[in-house]
Amino acid sequence: MRPQKCATTPPARARRGSSMVAVVVLTSLLLASIVSSPASAAAPSLTIVSPTDGALIANGTRALVQFLASNFAFVQPGRVGQTGSPNEGHANVFLDAQAVRLLTDVEPFSLSLTSGPHTIRIQLVADNGTSLNPDVSASVHVVATQGPGAGVPRITILSPTRLESTGHGIYVSYRIENFTLVEPRGQPNAPNEGHVQLLVESHVVMEVIQSEPVLLVSLPEGDITIGARLVNNDNTPLNPDAISNVPIHVVASSAVSLPLVSNGGVTLLLAFILVVLVLRRRKVVGRPPNGRGGNS
Amino acid sequence: MNARILAFLLGTVGMLIVSGIAAPNVRAAPAPTLSIVSPSPNEVIGNGGPVVVVFAVTNFNLTDPGSGTSSPDSGHVNVFADDEWTSTASVNTIVLALPSGEHTIRLQLVMDNGSALNPDVNASVAVMVTQGPSGGTPGLSISYPREGALVGTDSTISFRVTNFVLVPPGGPGGVPNEGHVRVLLDRAYYADLGDVAPLHLNLKDGPHNVTLQLVDDAGGPLNPDVRVTLHITVQALVGRAIPFDATPFLALANLLIGLGILAAIYRKLEAR
Repeated sequence: MRPQKCATTPPARARRGSSMVAVVVLTSLLLASIVSSPASAAAPSLTIVSPTDGALIANGTRALVQFLASNFAFVQPGRVGQTGSPNEGHANVFLDAQAVRLLTDVEPFSLSLTSGPHTIRIQLVADNGTSLNPDVSASVHVVATQGPGAGVPRITILSPTRLESTGHGIYVSYRIENFTLVEPRGQPNAPNEGHVQLLVESHVVMEVIQSEPVLLVSLPEGDITIGARLVNNDNTPLNPDAISNVPIHVVASSAVSLPLVSNGGVTLLLAFILVVLVLRRRKVVGRPPNGRGGNS
Repeated sequence: MNARILAFLLGTVGMLIVSGIAAPNVRAAPAPTLSIVSPSPNEVIGNGGPVVVVFAVTNFNLTDPGSGTSSPDSGHVNVFADDEWTSTASVNTIVLALPSGEHTIRLQLVMDNGSALNPDVNASVAVMVTQGPSGGTPGLSISYPREGALVGTDSTISFRVTNFVLVPPGGPGGVPNEGHVRVLLDRAYYADLGDVAPLHLNLKDGPHNVTLQLVDDAGGPLNPDVRVTLHITVQALVGRAIPFDATPFLALANLLIGLGILAAIYRKLEAR
């Protein structure tokens, strides 16, 4: 044993030393890789706090979006000397697949929404704009409306009143509750918004977006029913139906009957004059020529 | 020997590291860049906007104006709409409210003191803003009265538009999916309508045709043309409950009786 120990030469010691250095370096690299491994780091996560999925964004307001991100550092992309690292980057916001925000912090933001259903999606991305692996995103579905967020839509005809006698043209006034009038232009339906249909004998004669009285003209004479109905943007009735009907009695105006009456009156007067003239003529024919009626 | 090799390798690696660290200080810094991510060129911004501009920069630190010393690799963005300065931005999203029509949005990187970089770094994009929807084909139809209807002297015409927003006339032409309705009565201009309120007509008796046509803000027809024509017949007493209209007979009777009176008077005069 001794001779062997003594047989340790300087090159052998150098080899042993370099081997130890290599082992230390490899161990350090292994530890470093373990410490810095993405697999060991907590994965980024993203949650949209508000609005909640299926929320109704009412009264035409903007949607305030609040979200939480964990294990992810928000930084401005494209900074000088930026090298990028895992769990660092920014967020892209999409409204119905359209990019609408690039977020470099977790501050709430607001979005302007048109009436109808929408999808808001937030995606965490790396500094270079590529999505994380695995992808980290969150989305919510919301419905925006110009109308109120609650309440049952209702319409009530205030004038004319029930069984009122009217002329052929009348103003119809009504009161609308829990419903906002918007111009129909082919946009999607949204809760508690739409327009008004006016009906005569169940036939739609006008579609309006005004809350002021509406003039109905050329109403048919007699006992009829007029109605006002709230409808969606695509003209379909609400569910449940919001309609108000009022029976009225339409009578002919004097402007229509006057010519008939006057014509009849003139006819009678002329007939009377003719009769008088004819009777007087007969009376004159029946008298003697001297006008005294006796023997001359 | 191995020790020398190890020393050589360590020395080489050290020099590489040192040279790599020192390089940025020696070489010129990469130039800042600016690009507009959204909207895409010539994109139609529907429903009146707003226009959301998302941009990206490289080699440039975005800072709030007045927050530090001016350097060519940090600062903010100047925002121009149609060559008019509108705002500054130090975040990657800009929200602009623009009226209907075509607009050019230009972004420019500037230093903290507001001066442009050298060379100038900017990016621009052209967009079209409309009050109408960004897509879809405009449509027009008449909901009341029906084709060929018999109506009274006073009548109303209700119509519907789809994928089109009615605005008062006078805006710039060529804006998609917005404009007004031109009304032609018996092929002659009658009115321009800037909303969907029913059209009130007061027509004399007889057949008439009413044409509604969608036109752009400047009054030009759409391409393809969108119009609808309604044929109606006006009769004054439509809707009146008159069991027997004796007016013509009374008129004839008046005439005959008048003649009779004249004859009677004549004979009376003749008899004298």
